[in-house]
Amino acid sequence: MIERKDYLQDPVVHIKISKKLTVDQLMQQFKNSGSLGAGRLATACDIYENMISDPECTVFLALSGAVIPAGMRTLVADLIRKRFVDVVVCTGASMVHDAIEAVGGHHYKGSCVVSDHELYKHHIFRIYDVFVTEEDYVRLDYQLSEMYDNIAAKHKGESLSSNEFTWEIGKCLKDPNSILRAAYEENVPIFLPAVRDSEFGFIHWLHSSQQNKKPILQLDAFKDVPTISGICSKSPKNGMVVIGGGVPRNTIQSAALASKKGLDYGVVITMDRPEIGGLSGSTLEEAVSWGKIKGQANQVMVIGDALMVFPFMVASVTERLGEDFRRVPFLERERLLEQRC
Amino acid sequence: MKNAKTLKCCGNCDAHNSYDYPSKIFCSTRHAQNKDPIVDTLWCCEDYSRVCQECYCVREALMEKEGREAAQR
Repeated sequence: MIERKDYLQDPVVHIKISKKLTVDQLMQQFKNSGSLGAGRLATACDIYENMISDPECTVFLALSGAVIPAGMRTLVADLIRKRFVDVVVCTGASMVHDAIEAVGGHHYKGSCVVSDHELYKHHIFRIYDVFVTEEDYVRLDYQLSEMYDNIAAKHKGESLSSNEFTWEIGKCLKDPNSILRAAYEENVPIFLPAVRDSEFGFIHWLHSSQQNKKPILQLDAFKDVPTISGICSKSPKNGMVVIGGGVPRNTIQSAALASKKGLDYGVVITMDRPEIGGLSGSTLEEAVSWGKIKGQANQVMVIGDALMVFPFMVASVTERLGEDFRRVPFLERERLLEQRC
Repeated sequence: MKNAKTLKCCGNCDAHNSYDYPSKIFCSTRHAQNKDPIVDTLWCCEDYSRVCQECYCVREALMEKEGREAAQR
């Protein structure tokens, strides 16, 4: 039985700001508070550090929302290059935004207080307070259409999975800051479970509607399922960091379920609420009921804007691990061992 | 600039997308026909069909053209 004194073991230590405070030192202050958003963020940093440091864990990153056009592109590419992420699952739009910049386009600091009808007349699109021009999309479309031609010719009409598709696109891009390019070079799979619902899908129409076009690029939505479930299955432990939620989060959780593993670690950063029953706001405890995450998993949900929360997490954990920290993911070690045998 | 909205040109056609704003258009119809899809905003072809929503492409392309001609004079 829990006694009264058991509830009162850990007093809140108040946050103290000194002149030279590093990000991780601030995070330790948050941990000392242990309360509200600060406490959850500090816990998220501990869990992410544990995931990366655990030699048996495969780290999945789920990306949704507009964090890539808003400034998180290089951060994600760097995480892939440092192998702080082993598998990326994201919306098609996130990788379209990456590709727009990879071929020379830009996202601009804008405003949410603006005439959208005027923006329309100027061929400028708005993502809350970020602007992107139609011509940056169209230039990408035109290049993608040519890439689709070449990929389809190479595969002779054979169907690709979404992660084979992203690998081929990453191969065509040259920008070292591109997420797609970094994933191609580091052999990190990027899965796009809702690839059709993005410019990648609508450009397929441009590609396939050309007169006498043969072969047409074919994607098989089901082909990813054994691949991602197989990764979960082979890895002794699995962890996920979720930015937003939606289809990418569900894909990772379902792969963990299909492989009968359940996730060992989970960090979800979201602004969504659980009451409406949508996945993005659903609690990690709810996922326990499905077997998607283990009952004893190391997990936390941070309610906040991922564009603010996630860079703090990455900065804090990078500082803890130090510049010389080199991670060899579990599945990579397995592959190297197999090659040696 | 009064006639910018009513001019029969690519910038007022419903197959137009901005390619090099405001002077160049990406034409999805020409792309489907395997023709060079990049055309001048102020050009026009036999597939012209008036755009359902107005934009500033033609107005800005005319202004740019006038500026270019004035500089040449």
